[in-house]
Amino acid sequence: MRIAITAKGEGLKSMVDDRFGRCENFVIFDTETKETTTVDNDAKNESGGAGGKAVRILSLNKVDVVIAPELGPKATEGLKAFEIKAYKKGNSATVEEAINNYNENKLEEIKFSTVEEHSGLRKA
Amino acid sequence: MRIAVLSGKGGTGKTTISTNLSINIENSMLIDTDVEEPNSHIFLKPNITETKSVKVEYPVVDNEKCTLCGKCGDFCNFNAIIPAKNTVLVFQESCHSCGGCKMVCPTGAITYSKREIGKIYEGDTKFGIKMKYGELNLGEMSGVKIIEELKEITKNEDIVIIDSPPGTSCSTVAAVEDVDYAIVVTEPTPFGVSDMKMVVEMLREMKIPFSVFINKAGLGDNEVYEYCEDEKIKIIGEVLFDKKIAEYYSEGIPFSTKIPKYKKLFNDIFEEIYMEFRK
Repeated sequence: MRIAITAKGEGLKSMVDDRFGRCENFVIFDTETKETTTVDNDAKNESGGAGGKAVRILSLNKVDVVIAPELGPKATEGLKAFEIKAYKKGNSATVEEAINNYNENKLEEIKFSTVEEHSGLRKA
Repeated sequence: MRIAVLSGKGGTGKTTISTNLSINIENSMLIDTDVEEPNSHIFLKPNITETKSVKVEYPVVDNEKCTLCGKCGDFCNFNAIIPAKNTVLVFQESCHSCGGCKMVCPTGAITYSKREIGKIYEGDTKFGIKMKYGELNLGEMSGVKIIEELKEITKNEDIVIIDSPPGTSCSTVAAVEDVDYAIVVTEPTPFGVSDMKMVVEMLREMKIPFSVFINKAGLGDNEVYEYCEDEKIKIIGEVLFDKKIAEYYSEGIPFSTKIPKYKKLFNDIFEEIYMEFRK
């Protein structure tokens, strides 16, 4: 299984980014190979629809689960359509903590949008 | 003849200048293309006689024909259409109605439907001129279609004054495209001048003749005068930073109806532009 985490930097030690569609990178952890890759989030500079594009990037990278702080309405709808599960980062500060918290079942699943549209744009 | 009134920065006085200009030109018509926040009608107080819905197209995908090849999603620059695992997501309000997704679809699964993005209002004013203004619905991304329609339905009018959206966005470009002349309204402050430079660059790129109108003169510094001199840009008029004018503004009264010297100023400005246009 492949887990993606919204990240400000690269690798396991990176801090979790506060946005989904407009996060810096996605750090992807493969639970079978234990390998970590960092993917640049190309959606962050979009004028609109960043959430939808970010979902496409996750899908192209064969992600099964994403851990994010919040999700907008388009991102939620998109993740559902790509059958990617989403979890709230909870109190995880780094990517590594997020993965550990997920493995220990400490994270809450996101089923509905948690913020309004364009929230990431406002933060940026 | 079409004259656009624009500005780099919001709040410099586009509406003040365009409404005062148009009420002093006989048989002119004002169109407010600042569709995200139209406010010319507050001053011209038109008696609305016609309301028109403006619609745009968005793609509808036939799931029976769609093979989820992904070509539409690759083509769309606005992430309005996203092919997923078993279905294609369409985000209607992100769609710019370019028609590209239909063209690249190999199975003919895409057709278009229409939805309303805003309205156009038309009416007569007590100043003897007509006006039309557009209003974009809340949450919509782009009012370009409304601006284009406003211009299309007034293309046979003799004299049209266009109150434009601020800045140099797609909306502004749509509002000033094909005009005969532009008046750049600015205020003599560092922000006013800095934002005006972008507009000047845009107008030069679009090859539209223009001059500068200084609103709130006396406020701020001399940079705008120096800039216009260096760049050989004509300053066509000036309105002083005056408490009385601000009061008329707050009451929704075009100030040139109250202060005769400004009535003359707007008459002279139009005359000057008209002479240049006829040359």
